[in-house]
Amino acid sequence: MTQLSSKTLLASALIVLSAALFVLNLGGYLGPAREAIVRPLAGGQQWVSQRYFAAREFLTAPREATALQARIEELEAQNAALQDQIITLQEEASEAVILRALLNFARTSPETSYVATSVIGLDPSPFVRSITIGAGSDRGLSYGMPVVSESGLVGRIIEVNATSSRVQLITDPQAAVSVRLQNSRADGLVVAQANGELQVEQISHEVEVSQGELVLTSGLGGVFPSDIPVGHIVSVRTRDFELFQQAVLEPAVEFEGLEIVLVITNFRPVDQVPAP
Amino acid sequence: MSLLLGFAGISFLAVLQSSLVNHLRLLDGRPDLILLAITGWALAGHGRQAMLFGFVGGFALDLFSEVPLGVSSAALVLVAVLVSYSEGRFWGVHPLMQLAAVIAASGVFYAAQLASLGIGGHSFDLPLVVNRIVLPSLFLNLVLALPAAQAAEALSRFFTPAEVAA
Repeated sequence: MTQLSSKTLLASALIVLSAALFVLNLGGYLGPAREAIVRPLAGGQQWVSQRYFAAREFLTAPREATALQARIEELEAQNAALQDQIITLQEEASEAVILRALLNFARTSPETSYVATSVIGLDPSPFVRSITIGAGSDRGLSYGMPVVSESGLVGRIIEVNATSSRVQLITDPQAAVSVRLQNSRADGLVVAQANGELQVEQISHEVEVSQGELVLTSGLGGVFPSDIPVGHIVSVRTRDFELFQQAVLEPAVEFEGLEIVLVITNFRPVDQVPAP
Repeated sequence: MSLLLGFAGISFLAVLQSSLVNHLRLLDGRPDLILLAITGWALAGHGRQAMLFGFVGGFALDLFSEVPLGVSSAALVLVAVLVSYSEGRFWGVHPLMQLAAVIAASGVFYAAQLASLGIGGHSFDLPLVVNRIVLPSLFLNLVLALPAAQAAEALSRFFTPAEVAA
């Protein structure tokens, strides 16, 4: 009986403590403490995700590369130190490919300032679509900054720590992006479904939307800069009794394979108040 | 098990969950390492430690997540309470009951997350969420439940070996 009571007491105390954390966090009182805890954990996240991407790169390399890798591994038996060097160089080479693509993207709009950073984690909750990136306020990042890849729009920063930040992806059901269809010049709003599928809503009936049409950010609302690719139209749904047309969008960015992203640092979002 | 060692281990699991395990997906579901660890540890007869580890593990998870801080902590403490309820006389009746414990634990964990996000203004298409996220995650948790319970049992034996009668 006493044992049961002490267990109930412990459980109650921990739940009250959780509630206190919840309330203090909502009030914004946990900022510095949170910062102190997140910093070492983000370091661990970065270390693990670098190894994961290196292993994935190794396993999914083309066949010739795999054969070469096997040959290298024979040599590795004689020289273990060479192994580390090869893996490091391979990882750097794959990073260089991504960075070259990002650089080409950055050159298309030289007036924009970027900070390149790696993706170090995904949101542990399956109900939320956000990623953690390995740069924060130490590198000049702040709340609301848009995040892109060489292919197009990724999302925007919703939380900033000293060495890491959280980015809400455009595939999160809470995200909304004002867009313009490139050919038909129609405005719309991209919203995500729970399964991550993107839809363009609020397209006027007066415009004809074609399959494959490129969808760009419109800049309306001041949350994202204009003319960043968001995706292509896959299909259009038009119903006479509905006020607007809807379209299914294939995102320009391959969110599953994101390794490195660019944060646009010289864009000031309008009316962006950080959540407490 | 030393509490500090357990806290370090559970924090490491949270890092693994965020940076590695989230890439292992079935539809949009993914296994929940911390949930499995807490369930396994509670099933191994360490209810109080499981509550403390659940609190710390949930805190670490929420640091990496958009889920409000404290929600996963409270949910995982509840999971530990649920699984350690009746001191193994219920969930320990049959090995398959461990799977039932994981189902119940997953239900509590997901319900708490969904409720907190819903209160926070997130809107969900519930049937889609259940079909694409909850059920695949539950399936992955069930696949890993028995190995996780066995690992927890082995760790438990390692840290608290049975006393030999004099």
